[in-house]
Amino acid sequence: MSTQASSTMADSDAEQLTMLRESAMDVVQRGANMKHLRERRGTLPGYDPAYLRQMAELGWLGLLVPEAHGGLGLGLTEMAALLQELGKGLMADPLPAVALATRVLVHCPQWAAAGGHLAALARGEALPAVAWQEGLGGIDPAAISTAAKPEGTGWRLSGRKRFVVGAAGAAGFIVSARNADACGLFWISKDAPGLSLEHEWRADQTPIGVLALDGVAVAAADVISAPGGHGLQGLQRAIDETAVLASAEMLGVMEASLQMTLAYLRTRVQFGQPIGSFQALQHKAADLYVQQELVRAVLQDALRGLAPGQDALTAASVASRCKARASDAGLRTLREVIQLHGAIGYTDEHDAGLYLKRALALSAWLGNASAHRARFAALQEQSATS
Amino acid sequence: MTDPTSPGSQRDWNALSDDEFRQEAASFFAQQVPAHLKFLSRRPRWAEVRDWYLTLSRHGWLVPAWPVEHGGMGLSQSKALVYVEELERSGAPRVMDQGLMNLGPVLIARGTEEQRRRFLPKILSGEHTWCQGYSEPNAGSDLASLRTEARIEGDEFVINGQKIWTSVAFDATHMFALVRTDKSVKKQAGISFVMIDMKQPGVTVRPIRNIAGHEELCEVFLDDVRTPLVNLVGELNGGWQVAKALLGFERVWSGSPRQSTLALLRLQRFAQATGKMADPVFRDRYTQITMDVLDAASAYERFAQIMRTGGSFGFEVSMLKIWATETCQRVTELLVEAAGDLGGLSGEVDVEGDSMDILYPFLDCRAFTIYGGSSQVQRNILAKNVLDLPS
Repeated sequence: MSTQASSTMADSDAEQLTMLRESAMDVVQRGANMKHLRERRGTLPGYDPAYLRQMAELGWLGLLVPEAHGGLGLGLTEMAALLQELGKGLMADPLPAVALATRVLVHCPQWAAAGGHLAALARGEALPAVAWQEGLGGIDPAAISTAAKPEGTGWRLSGRKRFVVGAAGAAGFIVSARNADACGLFWISKDAPGLSLEHEWRADQTPIGVLALDGVAVAAADVISAPGGHGLQGLQRAIDETAVLASAEMLGVMEASLQMTLAYLRTRVQFGQPIGSFQALQHKAADLYVQQELVRAVLQDALRGLAPGQDALTAASVASRCKARASDAGLRTLREVIQLHGAIGYTDEHDAGLYLKRALALSAWLGNASAHRARFAALQEQSATS
Repeated sequence: MTDPTSPGSQRDWNALSDDEFRQEAASFFAQQVPAHLKFLSRRPRWAEVRDWYLTLSRHGWLVPAWPVEHGGMGLSQSKALVYVEELERSGAPRVMDQGLMNLGPVLIARGTEEQRRRFLPKILSGEHTWCQGYSEPNAGSDLASLRTEARIEGDEFVINGQKIWTSVAFDATHMFALVRTDKSVKKQAGISFVMIDMKQPGVTVRPIRNIAGHEELCEVFLDDVRTPLVNLVGELNGGWQVAKALLGFERVWSGSPRQSTLALLRLQRFAQATGKMADPVFRDRYTQITMDVLDAASAYERFAQIMRTGGSFGFEVSMLKIWATETCQRVTELLVEAAGDLGGLSGEVDVEGDSMDILYPFLDCRAFTIYGGSSQVQRNILAKNVLDLPS
C-alpha cells in the first residue's frame, strides 16, 4: 500500500519535472537570441525586464518559494532541471541570483519579514541579492571584515562587499557583517543612506555588484540574524545549494555547446571529408561526453545529498564535489569547443565564445574547482576526526 | 531470522528488498569465504578454489542471475548487482566463472534444451570449467576478423587456428569459442559460436606471463580439434549475434569503481605510513584523485539505478568503463610517483615497517584499459553510436 502511494507520488513528481523541462525548452527555443544577448553585454541590469516578467508569470522566480508565500513550493531538483534547460540557451539570468537569495531567506524563517520578501520576489516585484563576499572572494562566508556595530536597538554596518550577483536589479540586499565574535545577516534596502553600488563585469559581460557601506543604519526589524545566530549556517547551506544549481546550469551550457560542436564536426569538410570522421577529433568529443555524463551523475548525487534528512557534512561534501566537477568539466569542454571549431571559434561573431564566457563566469561563481577541492579535503579531515 | 545457509533455490530472494538481500548476502559471504582466500592479489588456481566453488554451489549461492529452474538464484538484475558487490566486498577469490557468467546465460537464452541439460548441471557441479576463446593474434580490437576455422566433416566440426589472451585456459575443461564457418561473406556474417572439449588431442595450452609476473592469460592452439555439430550454439554463422547478446550486465560491471576504490585504499595506506599527507602537493593530488574515484562511483550508481528500476540504456554506458579504468590507472600512477625511490623497487617492499607491493597495482591495471574493448574502442563506440559522428 505504502509502495503504491509513494510510487504514485514519484510518478507525479516525475511528470511535474518533465512539464517544467518542456516549458523551459519551449521558452529557450522561442526566446534564445544571441544577437540580443550580445547587445546587452556591458549594460544594466544584465537581463531583459520583459523576460523577468515572463519568469514571474511562469512561476519560475517563486519556484523555490513555499506555497504559503505565493511560490510553487518546489525543490532544488526542479530548479536544477530548469536552470539546466535555460543554460542551454544562455537564458538563466537572473534566476541563479534569485535562487541564492531565496534559499538564504528560506533558511532564516525566524526573521519576521522573510515571508514578505519571498512573496515579493516570487511576483518579480522586488528582487533581493546576497552580498556575502569581499576582497578577493573565496568560499568561506565567515572570512569577512565588514563590521556590524550595535546602535540602539539596531546596528550600523561599514565595509565593502563584492561579487554581488543580481545587484543591478535588486531592491535590497542580504548583507553579511560581523562583530568581534560572530557573523550576522542584515537587510539593507538599495536606497539606504550610506550605501553605494557600483559594478564590475563578469566574463560574460553581465554586471556583478560592489557595495560600499559607509555606516549604513539597520533597524531592529531588518536584522535577519544577529551575530551568533543561525544566519551564517543558513547562508552556508544556501551557498552549497546554489553551487549545485550553478552546476546544473553549467551542465546545460556544456550540453548545448557539445551539441553545437558535434553538428560542426559532422558538416565541416577538410581534406575531402567531414572532420568529425577523424579519430583524433572523435576521441576528443568522446572525452567531453564522458565529462558531461560525470557532471550529470554527480549532480544527481548532490541533489540527493542535499535532500532533507541527510547529514550536514555529507551534504557539504557532495556539493563541493559537484561544483568542482562541473567547474572543471565545464571549462575543459568550452576550451575544447573553441579548439574543435578552429579559427571561427576564436571570433566574437561565433556563439562558441558566448558559451565559453558563461562557463568562465559559472566556474568562478560560488567557488571554482580548486576552492572546492580544498574544501572537500578539509571536510574529509573533519569527518575523519569527528 | 532466516537461515542464511539454506539452499538458495528454495528461497524467493526477490521477495526481499534490495537492502534486506544485501544483508543476507553480506552475512552469507562473511560466514563462508575461507579466510586464507580473502583479498588475494592474484587470481587463484582452480585447485585452490574448487572447495569454495562447491560450497557456493551446495548452498545454492553459485549463480545469482540464472533462473531458479536451472539451479540459479533467479535474482532480479538489481539483486544480481548487489550479489556481486557484496561478493567483492567480502574479499572472495575469483573462481572459474566463464561458465557461470557467460556460457550459462547464452545457453539459457539461445541454447537447445539438450544443450542446457548436458552442460548446465556440470557447470554447477564444477565438473566442467569453461574458458572463453574469442581473441586471436590478429583479431583483438577487430575481433570480427578472427580466422580460427571450423569446417564441417560429417556430424563434426574440425577446428584449426589459434586463440590468445584466453584467461586460465590451463584450468578449463571446455572452451566456448567464436570460429569462422564461412569465408565468403562479410566478416561478421561468417562466424559461429561453438563449444569445444579441451581434453582431446590437438589442443595445446601455453600460459603467457604478464608484466605483473603472473600467468593467467594463455595461448590456445587448435590443431584438427573436433566437436560435434550439436555443440553449435545458435545458428550456423550466427555467432556474432550470440556473442553480442552477452554484453549488458558486463558492460556496467566493467565500469564499476571497485578497482579504483581498492587502489585508493592502498594509496591511503601508503600516505599514512609515510606521513605524505602533510605534503601539500601530494595532498592536493590525493584529494583530486579521491574525488575522481567518487565521481566514478556516482556515474556507476546512475547506471546501476537504471538497471535496478528495470530501465535500459545503450552505448552511452561506454563512458563508465573509460572513466573507471583510467581513473584506477591514475591512482596507481600517483602511488608510484609518491613512493619516490620505493617506486623503483619490485615486489613487497618495506614502507616504514609496513610491507607493500607498490608496483603491482600499477602493472596489474595496465590491462583494464585494454581488455573488454580498449579505451580507444570505447571512444570509437561513443563517437559513432552516441555522438553520431561520421565514419
